[in-house]
Amino acid sequence: MAELVISKLDKIYRPSRKAPVHAVQALDLTVKSGEIVALLGSSGCGKTSTLRMIAGFEDVSAGSITIAGKPVHDLAPSARGVAMAFEAYSLYPPLTIGENMAFALKAAKLGSAETDAKVKAMAEMLEISAILNKYPVSVSGGQQQRASLGRALVRKADLYLLDEPMGQLEPQLRAILRGRIKHYLREHQCTTILVTHDQTEANALADRIAVKEGGLLQQYATPAELKARPANLFTGTFVGEPPMNVFDADVKADGKQVSFTIGGGNVLSYPASEFPAGLRGILARHPKLAIGIRPHALHLGDGPLKGRVTACQWLGDQTHVAVDVGGRTAVSVAHDRVTASAGSEMALSVAASDLHLFDPATGKAIAHGGEPA
Amino acid sequence: MNQLALKSLSKSYGAFKVFDGLDLSADAGEIVVIFGGSGTGKTILLRLIAGVEEPTSGLIELDGMDVADVAPEHRNVGMAFQNFALFPHMSAMENIATPLQARGKAAAAVQAGVAKVAKLLKIDHVLGHAPRELSNGQKQRTALARALAAEPRILLLDDPLRNVDAKLRFEMRLELPRLLRQTGATVLYVTQDYKEAMALADRIAVLAGGKFVQVATPEDIYMRPATLSVARLFGDPAINTAETKVEANGSAVHVTLGGVKVAISSTHGGLAGRAVTFAVRPEAVMIQTGKATGLAATVMAVTPFNERTVLLLQSEGGWEFLASLPSSSPDIPEPGTTVMASFDPPGTHLFDLNTGVRLHG
Repeated sequence: MAELVISKLDKIYRPSRKAPVHAVQALDLTVKSGEIVALLGSSGCGKTSTLRMIAGFEDVSAGSITIAGKPVHDLAPSARGVAMAFEAYSLYPPLTIGENMAFALKAAKLGSAETDAKVKAMAEMLEISAILNKYPVSVSGGQQQRASLGRALVRKADLYLLDEPMGQLEPQLRAILRGRIKHYLREHQCTTILVTHDQTEANALADRIAVKEGGLLQQYATPAELKARPANLFTGTFVGEPPMNVFDADVKADGKQVSFTIGGGNVLSYPASEFPAGLRGILARHPKLAIGIRPHALHLGDGPLKGRVTACQWLGDQTHVAVDVGGRTAVSVAHDRVTASAGSEMALSVAASDLHLFDPATGKAIAHGGEPA
Repeated sequence: MNQLALKSLSKSYGAFKVFDGLDLSADAGEIVVIFGGSGTGKTILLRLIAGVEEPTSGLIELDGMDVADVAPEHRNVGMAFQNFALFPHMSAMENIATPLQARGKAAAAVQAGVAKVAKLLKIDHVLGHAPRELSNGQKQRTALARALAAEPRILLLDDPLRNVDAKLRFEMRLELPRLLRQTGATVLYVTQDYKEAMALADRIAVLAGGKFVQVATPEDIYMRPATLSVARLFGDPAINTAETKVEANGSAVHVTLGGVKVAISSTHGGLAGRAVTFAVRPEAVMIQTGKATGLAATVMAVTPFNERTVLLLQSEGGWEFLASLPSSSPDIPEPGTTVMASFDPPGTHLFDLNTGVRLHG
């Protein structure tokens, strides 16, 4: 365990006869000792380039990377004290799953009894005890992925890098392994960076999430903060499933009330007292806004928004109801079973404290729950 | 009358049996989801119905007529594939037009047919584009449009949302049922995503081990799974399980979870002495702190899961299980907290330890 500090990190790829690609731009990121951080973004956002620079598989174009205060960006990968689980598993084909997991421990001259005990415990945690004597080619993709993850976690390292570590896991195992891995990382105070495109994974495992898009860091915050106070429309709609509902609104704010007209004659009105004076001033300068509403904050059955149900889908532990409100689909999530037939009328409400307001031109957040962003 | 009926349908390749003795019927306009893991033969089943492969034995009836001798193009079946399978050298419009042209429609009718489905699927603005110029979502809509263009009576959709991203898959999941109803076609929809199956299906046919293990409504599949394997396939997190034995002491009935006796509904008294798998859905695990009764357990990890939060719990005796609560719940416990867990009967099931069959009573 050790702190990782990334400072003004840049990565520019210069393919021949093509325009250069600025994959990572002036990235500043600190991962505290023992912290689990997710780099979250879709493909091309620069997350894997960042991870590979930390591991030492890519040169940095500019900037620095330090682990426990020591600059490592010019060191060979093996000298950085980093353990990595690869998206493509990269298990050694001639070694069994057990030998793969023990490889680095043996290289570190750990005694065979201790090595065996560690590998055994890790295999139990990841449910691969039964395949320790098999070779990588003879096990499933999900099992190879668990073996690759085990090979990284079983080592003692300053920093753990996990590249899409759970993408291929069997759906029935995913939730329990998330819990076990999170518990393990905490128990062993592993400083960890997890790269993923899956916001569900990032939210489940990480203490903080760095949301990346277009080579830029969009927001770096805890999962709870990302949900409650997204910095911009991109993070707001990228994090959360079902995604945040977004409406374009015409805003009116005076001393008595604040109202948002969102099309189809639907108006959300609140007493001005729900918005502090300072925010009302800001709203007065923004006659047009984008309003974000999380699906769980959109309440069914009563309220000023009127529409027709287009879908009502019960998934066992929750119901997703889609309602056409003024030509836009609004999605509400209920934790119990809701029955509403397609085509029926539905009223919806949302509390002022659940509104996210964004500048429609820049996407920047203006307010969350009645407080300026 | 059934629009589609499979009677004792079997398919083997040499000694390898894909499936054996499948029976299924679908009413006109019904959406039946064929659900199963990879390699269970779902795609092969669709190919048999489309007529591009022949069954080893058994019957396929469309509109009450055995279609063994009916060529694929005369079965009135439309099909869409998970890899889209668009003709790369044709525009979206030409792709969508192919089934109409194959049926010898006049140019005006082809154009009208294409325009109609393109509007329904909201791809009118990209009809002139070649497949490589389309986004994955547009490709998938084009493939669906092509399947729908000739207004087939039977629509076979082979995991059409598998290769689109999570957001688009969610949007399409909301949109598809209405779209499919509008076509009036009888739909067989193949997927490995249980949420898609629950959201779209009138009935779900669970294919495993070459058989339909259960054919039932989403409600029956989720609330009354026929077997432990069906219970494990539906739900995320997957259902919690423990191997145990039902014991009765007077009218009190209990199972043993990690060495600790836990009372269950007295209606299970008739199963006393039986070796079972006890199973409880994570959302049916109720958590209390303080002076409550139940199974004492330690919170090992808290993992947010979209609109819900999942707790990894370990009971005193070492049984590991998951609880899933709405994220908006007050007092979500911190890791390390001791809680008392109890189990809501509708989400609690007993299965025979050896056969996996759900036990009643």
